[in-house]
Amino acid sequence: MRVDGLQHSTAIDEAYDYVIVGSGAAGASAARVLADTGASIAVVEEGPAVPRTHFPDKVWPAFHNMLRNMGGLIARGRAFIPIIQGSCLGGSTVINSAIMWRVPDDVFDVWRDEFGLQAALPPDALHRQWDRVERELNVHPVFEEALGHNVSMRRAAERLNLSAAPTRRGDRGCQGSARCLTGCPHGAKQSMHLTYLPYAEERGATLFTHAKVERVFFDLGRASGVSGRFQSPGQKGRNFILRARKAVIVAASAIQTPGLLHKSGVRSKHLGKHFQAHPGSPLMAVFDDGGNLWKGATQGFDADEYRADRFKLETISLPPELAFVRMPGTGRAWMHSMAEMANIRVWGVQLRAFAEGEVRNGLFGPDVRFDPNARDMRNLRKALRVTAEMFFAGGAREVILSIHGMPERIHSVDELDVFDRAPDNPAAYSWILSHLFGTARMSVNRSKGVVDEHFAVHGSPNLYVVDSSIFPTNLGVNPQQAIMGIAMHAAENIARRHEH
Amino acid sequence: MLSYRTRIVLDTLLPQNGDDQLDVGLFDTDFESFYETFEAGAPAMMRVGFRAALFTAVWIAPTLIGLPPPLTLYDRETREHALEALLHSRSNVLRQMAFLLRATCCFHFGGDSVVREKVGYPEQFDAHLEAKE
Repeated sequence: MRVDGLQHSTAIDEAYDYVIVGSGAAGASAARVLADTGASIAVVEEGPAVPRTHFPDKVWPAFHNMLRNMGGLIARGRAFIPIIQGSCLGGSTVINSAIMWRVPDDVFDVWRDEFGLQAALPPDALHRQWDRVERELNVHPVFEEALGHNVSMRRAAERLNLSAAPTRRGDRGCQGSARCLTGCPHGAKQSMHLTYLPYAEERGATLFTHAKVERVFFDLGRASGVSGRFQSPGQKGRNFILRARKAVIVAASAIQTPGLLHKSGVRSKHLGKHFQAHPGSPLMAVFDDGGNLWKGATQGFDADEYRADRFKLETISLPPELAFVRMPGTGRAWMHSMAEMANIRVWGVQLRAFAEGEVRNGLFGPDVRFDPNARDMRNLRKALRVTAEMFFAGGAREVILSIHGMPERIHSVDELDVFDRAPDNPAAYSWILSHLFGTARMSVNRSKGVVDEHFAVHGSPNLYVVDSSIFPTNLGVNPQQAIMGIAMHAAENIARRHEH
Repeated sequence: MLSYRTRIVLDTLLPQNGDDQLDVGLFDTDFESFYETFEAGAPAMMRVGFRAALFTAVWIAPTLIGLPPPLTLYDRETREHALEALLHSRSNVLRQMAFLLRATCCFHFGGDSVVREKVGYPEQFDAHLEAKE
């Protein structure tokens, strides 16, 4: 059953076994597991349910309907970094590329050795969950026929003998229309609104949309439900109360979760702290091979050669709205650049940043602070240099830098030393922040984290957090599969704890 | 309703006949209608940011190339030069203003079907998909 808060003119006060806050990768995966137990479940989503027939091919309506703050949420530091988060049924899985990676072994080692989480996050149990995710979402490397523009990275990697491969993604019948970022119009991408949420719904779960949870409320120290307000543009929406007979499960993302917990009275010196991410920075190049940016999977090839240097390279297709902004020039010169669109290719650096930031409750919503540090900037410069070198190896005629104080374009590998002179200040670069972790991190020790080994908030035994805010560190790979598997593992544990 | 000065700034940014292939400018693409939607639906921070960016373009950009404001006093070449100076300013805040100006225009301009056709971006098949469902 679905309840759209926009259409709901009366207040609601209902009870469920489990109330799940958030419908993205974590919330939907928890709902999928709990639905199998026969429990009654409410999944509460702040944004709308957007049917795929309404996924536009234009960025403005897509951002308007599906992104938090229309993409205008900013991480503040020396640079202003836009944060891309979905805010619709299915969360960011609707607007990402469904890229799937398991948690790498070296990350597990840190979680075990530095955070003592071998019992809470046992690799064997998580690999079983990831097997299930791969089976159910049809995870596979992008097929040859859907590679399109992505083959230029393959060509470059082969010439430079670098480790790179077609991206592993969850899709059924990707047509290579390069429209993942505005929602797959073909229903090929296995987003949560097409997979786990309908699965839970068929087993009795109620999906609330346009419903913003404002706080978790407690009864004698026990989390007993959530209260909030339906979203109603231009007027005050109706209140809702969803009582939880067994548990409240928060899966609202590393940006929203700490704020909700804080507003609900949870106190921990780690709440909102240790915010980690994979800041991304794109480079563009001009090719003459006729491989258009809009033919092929949005992100179809990635290079993991440089994991030890804490960066990964990915192809990405941008629609004209987003590509034009990054092109050099003003007025007529800018339009000359735009006219080259058919020959443009964009590859992104995904940095496994050392920097830790913070998320606080601000006057107008979450106040995010994040500033890449000196080690991150050193790695970024190396990553951009490697990307440019790969571009030339792949056949690029020129590389567009978009770095303040640097030449707008370079034309051969002989000019790669510009990256050695590139500035240390993050404000000189173009960034995007999309993989977010750590603001309610897990630790067996209350003095070191917000959430215990059972995924419960320390001191609140039936208030659980299952999203990436519990991750003690970032991963260096795209986190959707990691988030899903850990949320499923958490949900199985939660179901066992509340069996009776 | 866009003011005279706003129109001059935006026309400098994306002029008509700016390129042989991409010969449509921002005001060939019904930007006014988009601007109404933007004012009605964009988050306050974006709307305020865009206005601040326009103000910066008119009153600060000329000073970056040693000329008194406003930008509207000058010919196209000088205006382009001033806006380019804003884009490459040493101040990150000023660069962000230029970015906001460009990003807001691109939200509309890059989505325009004529512009997309001119740069070779293919027609999408949404109507076909809706019919199938």
